[in-house]
Amino acid sequence: MAFLQQLFPWITNGPLILVQVMSGLSVGMFLFLVSAGMSLIFGVTRIVNLAHGAFYMVAAYLMSSLVSLFPGHPLWFWVALLVSSLAVAALGGLIEVTLLRRIYRREHLLQLVLTFGLILIIGTLVLMVWGPENRTVPRPTALAGSLDIFGQPFPTYYLLVLILGPLIALALGLVFYRTRWGMLVRAATVDRDMLGALGVDVSRLFTQVFILGSWLAGLGGALAAPVVAVALGMDAEVLINAFVVVVIGGLGSFAGSLISALLVGQLQSFGILIFPAISIVLLFALMAVVLIVRPWGLLGRPEE
Amino acid sequence: MQWREMVGRLPLPLPLVEVRLQLWAVLLGAFLVVIPHFLSTFYVFLLTEMAIVALFAAAFNLLMGYGGMVSFGHAAYFALGAYGAALLVKKAGFPMLPALAAGPFVAAAGALLFGFFIVRLTAVYFAMLSLAFAQIVFTVIFKWYSFTGGDNGLLGIWPAAFLKSPIAYYYFVLAVTALGLAALYAIVSSPFGYALKAIRENPRRARYIGVHVKRHQLWAFVLSGFFSGLAGALFAFFNGSVFPDLAFFNKSFEPLVVVLLGGMHAFSGPLLGAVGFKLLETFVSSRWPVYWPLVMGAILVAVILVAPQGFAGLLARLAWWRKR
Amino acid sequence: MPSKHGTLWRVVGVAVLVAFVLGSAGVALAARKTPIRIGEINSYSGLATVYTFPYREGIEMALKEINDAGGVLGRPLEFVFRDDKLRPDEAVKAARELVFQERVDFLAGCISSSVGLALSAWARESRFLYFATHCQSSRLTWDDGHPYIAHTTNNTNQYVRALAKRAATYPYTKWAHISPDYEYGHNLWEEFWDYLKQLKPEVQVLKENWPKLGESDHSSYITALLQSGAEAFFSGLWGSQEIAFVKQAKPFGLFDKLHFFSASVGNPDELDPLGKDAPIGAVTTGFAWYDAGLQTLHPELLDWVKRYMAWSKGKEPKLGATWGYATAYIIAEAIKRAGSTDHAKVIGVLDEGFTMEFPWGTVIMRGCDHQALPPQWTGIVRVNPEGRPVLAEVEETHGKDIVRSCEEVKRLRLAAQKK
Repeated sequence: MAFLQQLFPWITNGPLILVQVMSGLSVGMFLFLVSAGMSLIFGVTRIVNLAHGAFYMVAAYLMSSLVSLFPGHPLWFWVALLVSSLAVAALGGLIEVTLLRRIYRREHLLQLVLTFGLILIIGTLVLMVWGPENRTVPRPTALAGSLDIFGQPFPTYYLLVLILGPLIALALGLVFYRTRWGMLVRAATVDRDMLGALGVDVSRLFTQVFILGSWLAGLGGALAAPVVAVALGMDAEVLINAFVVVVIGGLGSFAGSLISALLVGQLQSFGILIFPAISIVLLFALMAVVLIVRPWGLLGRPEE
Repeated sequence: MQWREMVGRLPLPLPLVEVRLQLWAVLLGAFLVVIPHFLSTFYVFLLTEMAIVALFAAAFNLLMGYGGMVSFGHAAYFALGAYGAALLVKKAGFPMLPALAAGPFVAAAGALLFGFFIVRLTAVYFAMLSLAFAQIVFTVIFKWYSFTGGDNGLLGIWPAAFLKSPIAYYYFVLAVTALGLAALYAIVSSPFGYALKAIRENPRRARYIGVHVKRHQLWAFVLSGFFSGLAGALFAFFNGSVFPDLAFFNKSFEPLVVVLLGGMHAFSGPLLGAVGFKLLETFVSSRWPVYWPLVMGAILVAVILVAPQGFAGLLARLAWWRKR
Repeated sequence: MPSKHGTLWRVVGVAVLVAFVLGSAGVALAARKTPIRIGEINSYSGLATVYTFPYREGIEMALKEINDAGGVLGRPLEFVFRDDKLRPDEAVKAARELVFQERVDFLAGCISSSVGLALSAWARESRFLYFATHCQSSRLTWDDGHPYIAHTTNNTNQYVRALAKRAATYPYTKWAHISPDYEYGHNLWEEFWDYLKQLKPEVQVLKENWPKLGESDHSSYITALLQSGAEAFFSGLWGSQEIAFVKQAKPFGLFDKLHFFSASVGNPDELDPLGKDAPIGAVTTGFAWYDAGLQTLHPELLDWVKRYMAWSKGKEPKLGATWGYATAYIIAEAIKRAGSTDHAKVIGVLDEGFTMEFPWGTVIMRGCDHQALPPQWTGIVRVNPEGRPVLAEVEETHGKDIVRSCEEVKRLRLAAQKK
């Protein structure tokens, strides 16, 4: 123990560890929202949607514009949150119907190049609409401060995320496991062709799933906007993280994304305490180890 | 709309384009040897870059087009080749040619090490593990200041005196690329290449007829890494410097985009893709320095929607029409 | 000269009148003169545009003035812009296109230091003079310096030393820091700490934090800083990453417990978006043109700002705008002094060095390393009466008084060669 303590002086600092765990949890919740959408879209449509990060970015920019319309109004923040995420859901639906749907029957990798093109287009459009300036979104006044947790301050806004994240996870879980639509989605993840043969309108299901996935990306972006800078380039950062989370959790697995997001959140939180020098490589090392030991991810399904 | 469906049901346009390739190979070679004398220096540089990208993409397509394995991390082997050569010049004082020759072996060694784990996976997991290893390579290069120079890169990696002039280096790259492509062509037309294609079409069946699937895939991975590394080493001496960006994930998408634009089911696909993509990119980004991503993105989307089988697919479609 | 704009406008007026009188023939003659072309490679798409757009406006404003005043050596000066996509290999490609296709006379530009280093290596090999601009690594002209590069803006050494000098006036001895984990971040922290230790040998560092570049969540680093027991900390973060850091640190009360010293939070691209969340009391660097003290020190500053705002349709000038503006004038001046665009002659001028007056003070182009030495400003973040965060209590230190000497630069270059 003495040795450990010498190595990691924080190890006996209970409150610090608690705060570290909690901030790791909140990071995990943000990651979960984005990666759940990506995983869902991949599971059903087999599209690796590179534009997922761009959707996240658009939502954050929309949020920055909407919130400043009625600054300080207590309810407006939530309206803006809803509106910007729904707008991104609509954008996702539009893209699916007009572009992606045309090439489902082609080489499935072509969709990858198409979404790569979308990154370029959306990034430039954001620059044209909002300009190059960094932007921010103020936290709602009630959540601007911090709470005391055993003598350690902890930001209230993160508490909100800690509550909202599991709620959304629960709601999605109920949808997937307790509704007929959720059943269809899960069936599509296993065998799309069979589902089509059984008379389900798969094409419509794809669109719906794409809209839901985009909405989750949008919600992630809108919720994250008050704690980050809304800036060009935020799309690439989140895309990489979402990638890693999805792969670790198992592609197409909803519960897997949740567990993996929480795991990655803790890794980021403690990684910098334990291995400050190589924290940058930890994420990918974890991903590599998981893929080597359990190639289909924590809760994914081995492929045929 | 009917022609669209008919094209969709076409058998792979492979043989047609390849016969054409052999027929025109000599003429094309002669053209490429003569043409730089009629072009400004910049186009000589552009042709050099196209040749390097074509080699990289063709090496990538050995995996994707012939082996059915999609790597999202091929920049790693490009970068290993580039850094291997650059480090031998900088740290061991190697002359250019031996360093260049050693680069691909560094990449192949990396491909062997990572490939051992990667080929045990399939489809998208294969892609993701290759991405993970590439990011690890990137991070090591980025962080290891004392050895790789970190994000300061390694500067002053120039070709030997007799290859200094743009045209001389162009001919050199052209020759090396031609050899590399010939080697790749020999590989895909060998029994090994056919076994690889068999694995792509049906791994289980390939196994039943006695093909050691994983070993073939690993060999293909190592060979692909080797030629990617060769392209990387050529690129290092072309630019005179190497930076960690060469291993970053957006570099990994370059061969993917090039091959998909060119057409992955023809040996000539990556070559056509390299020429088309680089021409487009150069023209668009010098014409619109601020808004080029918008234009480029729109072109990519349009090409995908109009010609989903790539440039080679377009050619094949033309040939098919003429035959009617 | 930019400082003599009054006469400049009069000259312009007369020139326009003369041209009018001489009629269209004269105008056509002037237009036929081939321009001097500068190929400018910078990051004009994506995340760096927040810096490069004002920078480009600065360049274009200077070009208008220079050309209205008759150009350089009687020829108009022209910049051809290219995007480097923030990638060194793309920058080298753009350099080739500019030099061999566009036939530019000189190269300029960079915001990422690796782009600067790649262009510098290419320029050295091709014996083609390159002016590094917006990127700030001191390696450019020092460790990796050579005759074919000049640097038209301050390097990290100067503005970080200005900050360290101010930090040394505070009683703090226990320090911590947070800087992005790449060359620029390491460079900032090392230069800061090195100079602070020179000025104040008793300082000690209790905690180092190296988040990765572009990291979006900093809570773990914030708690680590809070636990470190330091009295003050230095931040080498910049741009959107520092905005995120400050926003996240505020509810933790970090800035109440540790005094915040930042290399870049005083710039409007960070202060303005931060608004109410700005770290009040932070000591930092920045271009505070609105500061009354600075305006007294430089009487022409306000007038220049007005002209800039008219030019950029109301946008306030940022540091980058002064850099772009200065870059165009420094290149024009070097060519003027050389009397030609011959690279050997221009390098001769740079080797001798020269001094120029700008509305914000004197900029010295130092001969031994082709490095610009402009004035450096530090200040404290305060809220102005309109409720906007600004830099106050601005102090000016000139780069020439704090920068490493030519002898030190020589030693750095020798050490780099031995490696």
